[in-house]
Amino acid sequence: MAEVHVIGQIMGATGFSESSLFCKWGVHTGAAWKLLSGVREGQTQVDTPQVGDMAYWSHPIDLHFATKGLQGWPRLHLQVWSQDGFGRCQLAGYGFCHVPSSPGSHQLHCPTWRPLGPWREQLARAFVGGGPQLLHGDAVYSGADRYRLRTVASGLVHLELGLLLRHFDRYGVQC
Amino acid sequence: MAAAGPSVFLLMVNGQVESAQFPEYDDLYCKYCFVYGQDWAPTAGLEEGISQITSKSQDVRRALVWNFPIDVTFKSTNPYGWPQIVLSVYGPDVFGNDVVRGYGAVHVPFSPGRHKRTVPMFVPESTSKLQKFTSWFMGRRPEYTDPKVVAQGEGREVTRVRSQGFVTLLFNVVTKDMRKLGYDTGPPDTQGASGPSPQQGLPP
Repeated sequence: MAEVHVIGQIMGATGFSESSLFCKWGVHTGAAWKLLSGVREGQTQVDTPQVGDMAYWSHPIDLHFATKGLQGWPRLHLQVWSQDGFGRCQLAGYGFCHVPSSPGSHQLHCPTWRPLGPWREQLARAFVGGGPQLLHGDAVYSGADRYRLRTVASGLVHLELGLLLRHFDRYGVQC
Repeated sequence: MAAAGPSVFLLMVNGQVESAQFPEYDDLYCKYCFVYGQDWAPTAGLEEGISQITSKSQDVRRALVWNFPIDVTFKSTNPYGWPQIVLSVYGPDVFGNDVVRGYGAVHVPFSPGRHKRTVPMFVPESTSKLQKFTSWFMGRRPEYTDPKVVAQGEGREVTRVRSQGFVTLLFNVVTKDMRKLGYDTGPPDTQGASGPSPQQGLPP
């Protein structure tokens, strides 16, 4: 079986209008993939930047997969939330990106979006907070029912992922 | 007699904790340590260290330079738990107490070659304004009981932090027998600079 190691960090986020941000992340894979070590999902700390406008999480990711096939290459899905002074959390954006498929170190900048409601909900969000959220998290990384959504762009999440492949050349796979 | 294939690979890291950018603080020193998984063991070199105390230069750069050497070799059977270097930066506050100015962590790069990494540094934040004032006054800021927590992902969801500086590290990485064990680490990344550039984080 071929093995894939994903070793890196969720560095942080820029471009969001709110400042105290955290990120819930998870990795989704196809049926041929098995997670041997590592945690498949997690949540970062809440960071309030004092210098500049990039929120830094430096959240480590260390995953070890074994795979029998190429389908269902791992996808990292992210939800960025902001936390205000009262401890309330508000959705800032959803995003996903595929884990890179070539070995080595990669810098990823994952764009995010959030669902947009009618103008009444947008006004309420500006004053009171809250706003529409997805019922099922898998719409973030699957294209199935996306045509029903109306969304607005949000900030960028920056990741630095390193990929280590093992035995891929035994199976004739070129990455 | 034919030798059996290797079961262990080696990772040799040397380099330095080069400098720091903390716009609001001065007279800082840095501690580093390595955090790694169960399959890893250090075979040579120093796993932790404390640097000298440095002050900002008088010129326009206002640089904080440590130039503190790192030299360690690890052996492992499995890349899971790849070593991370955890940095903690401390400095005096207004009253002269030693307080933490930032924690940060980054994975040791795994492609052989020369790498530069800029690590953002953050401190835990007090939960309420009253606690913030009390901790400022008494000189006992919130800190982690074990800085190695910064290298783990679990349990971070309840922490609130404030990022307030950067530390620049230089690494030279050499590996042995990774290819023999079947691992492909990608193209060697010479002179690779990575991590957030401090210029984009600092106010003009």
